[in-house]
Amino acid sequence: MLANTSIPVFEQLFNELTKTLPGDVFAFLPELVLCGTVIALLLGRLLGTDRWIPGHWTALVGTLIAFGFSFNAALGGIELSSVEATAEISRSELFSGLLINDGMTIFFRLFLLLFLVLVIALTVLSGIPDNEDGPDFYTLLLGATIGMMLMVSANHLLILFLAVEMASVPSYVLVGFLKGRRASSEAALKYVVYGAGAAGVMLYGTSLVAGLLGTAEIDQIAGKLSELTLTGATLRTILLGVMMILVGLAFKLSLVPFHFWCPDAFEGAPAEVGGFLSVASKGAAFALLIRVAGQLAGPAAVPPEIPVPGLEGLAISLAIGLGLVGAASSTFGNLAAYSQTNIKRLLAYSTIAHAGYMLLGVSAMILARHAGDTDLARDCVSGVLFYLTVYLFMNLGAFAIVALVRNQIYSEEIADYKGLAKQAPLLCVAMAVCLFSLVGLPPLGGFVAKFFVLAPVWKAGDIHPAMWLLVGVALLNTVFSLFYYLRILVAMFIDDRPTGQPVAKPDSVDKLYVALVSIPILLLGASPLIGKLSQAAEDAARDLFL
Amino acid sequence: MSNQPLFWIFALLTCGGAVGVVISQNIVRMAFSLIVSLGSTAGLFFLLEADFVGATQLLVYVGGTLVLLIFGVMLTASGPFQQIRVSPGETFLGAAVGLLLLSVIAFTVIDVEWDTLNAARTEASPGAESGNTARAIGLRLVGIPADHEIGVHEGRGGRTGYLLPFEIVSIHLLVVLVGAAYLARAKRRVADGSTGGEN
Repeated sequence: MLANTSIPVFEQLFNELTKTLPGDVFAFLPELVLCGTVIALLLGRLLGTDRWIPGHWTALVGTLIAFGFSFNAALGGIELSSVEATAEISRSELFSGLLINDGMTIFFRLFLLLFLVLVIALTVLSGIPDNEDGPDFYTLLLGATIGMMLMVSANHLLILFLAVEMASVPSYVLVGFLKGRRASSEAALKYVVYGAGAAGVMLYGTSLVAGLLGTAEIDQIAGKLSELTLTGATLRTILLGVMMILVGLAFKLSLVPFHFWCPDAFEGAPAEVGGFLSVASKGAAFALLIRVAGQLAGPAAVPPEIPVPGLEGLAISLAIGLGLVGAASSTFGNLAAYSQTNIKRLLAYSTIAHAGYMLLGVSAMILARHAGDTDLARDCVSGVLFYLTVYLFMNLGAFAIVALVRNQIYSEEIADYKGLAKQAPLLCVAMAVCLFSLVGLPPLGGFVAKFFVLAPVWKAGDIHPAMWLLVGVALLNTVFSLFYYLRILVAMFIDDRPTGQPVAKPDSVDKLYVALVSIPILLLGASPLIGKLSQAAEDAARDLFL
Repeated sequence: MSNQPLFWIFALLTCGGAVGVVISQNIVRMAFSLIVSLGSTAGLFFLLEADFVGATQLLVYVGGTLVLLIFGVMLTASGPFQQIRVSPGETFLGAAVGLLLLSVIAFTVIDVEWDTLNAARTEASPGAESGNTARAIGLRLVGIPADHEIGVHEGRGGRTGYLLPFEIVSIHLLVVLVGAAYLARAKRRVADGSTGGEN
């Protein structure tokens, strides 16, 4: 196989590397820029330049450059697709099939980097890492984001595991970033223990799946699945492996019953970190879930008239199972949010509920894909992508306001928010926009997003009637959720501010930031931007099922 | 096999070390027996031409985990030779679980048809006897994909070399190291109210 003399080996190495590597590295530039930024942050501390150029500027500039590169790649993708009009052109594999560079990768890269820019800006405003800790904080933030960017482009089970770990381990430290506070350390410890357990289970699952299928490449899973005779022990083993992988992803998505870490971690972590984890980590995990789950539905080449015996059951039980988990997550998240008095804990339960809604889209995608309805499957995916984008703004907005208000009144209890609207009207109005959008009320982005997710799920009810039931549960949950979000708003707007409470005087920069984050929610609810974004989401989903 | 005497030496040391861990009541002696057992296991791997696994066994278990274990004992134990006493119930339970596992493994080993397996193995890859697994793995890590392995498919050139994970993991380790250093480091000054958050 490999020559024993060393010269041919080096020749082979050289040939392999010069053949594909330059192109691969070019497509990998945004990640590399982030890696470079991490090193620049460390060097800045070593050389002492971080006293003149604070860490947040280095991080911000690096992220913006990475954003520029990925934006450039996205523009290239659009030009390419309009000229060639075929989906296969814009889809390419990097690093000998370990990564995949398609519409969804580009979409999520922009999503993550835009979000990273917004989070860094927020941390500058709220000042949670001071100048001394800044380089450490941004190193961890960028390191986690590199992991998430690998998650969204993973095409190999090894990268799947590695990327999830790369995203998780810095997050553990970020959750415990406020050292010396008991709640913070406890939150980080809980997150670490649960995370390590989930990672171990997921690793075992990937080994079972890779061993049974004889491939570790994610886009080969569907083909290999259809070649197996899925009966008896094989079916049980593959089911076990798939479930174990899904446990790892469900942990990242904080779905019921793997959500226990979420409220504690969010309560103990600074609000900025909570916002980062709730959006970026979830978005990346959804991208990974869509890639894996799309393969588990089986190959498109098999027409539905010739059902592969085991595969049929596998796909449908997977779809219904994920749907039930999604419904349970949104129901449980909403019910548990009622009794919360800490706003970060309440928002943590709200993120559990929102992950549940989006999971319904994924489960409908599996069903549609299995039934051979590729268009519907793409609609499901683009719905989830749209939802995630709106979710970025509304959730970041809510967490940002919590962080900025905390700096003024030194509290994160809902009771201390009483009468805040008279002192900081803009912040409270923006909070109202975010929360109403989280509920999904009509003129706001949240409503459109919910519609885009649930409409394909409703359509998938034609394939399996359980989907109708799931949509019903989701709609009921939307109504439920109104009440606990309203509680915050009632405290802010209607109650009087008790005397002796600290006075909130937000800076004009704070106000500008909050306005910047909440205006997209309005635009995505009622403006031509809806069409633009849904078009982008459709473009991203188009390469997914060939 | 010409390695027969060596095999018996390593096998006896492996089992003897394992028995030593169970019999001994002194935690430092137990750790030493574990070193003997795990080190001999590495020797068995080398005899099986699995040099990479053998080296990993030495590095990770003997070199890493056990040294950590001994340091842990030295740092936490009140006396240098702490005794561990087990109740009869624990002995019974441990023996039951251990024997169960032993019987599972023994039955599995007996069930395998070694002759046909060996013949198939030499037929499939004649070079397997020559060892050198570390080199093949190393080459995959620097980007040369191996043939006839997981992930071979025609028309895509998609044979998997593991250059990317090998390189990107260094960034991961760097980031994690920074995080660990941050958590372990004492804060030089107390955060003032405006930046230190609530409370």
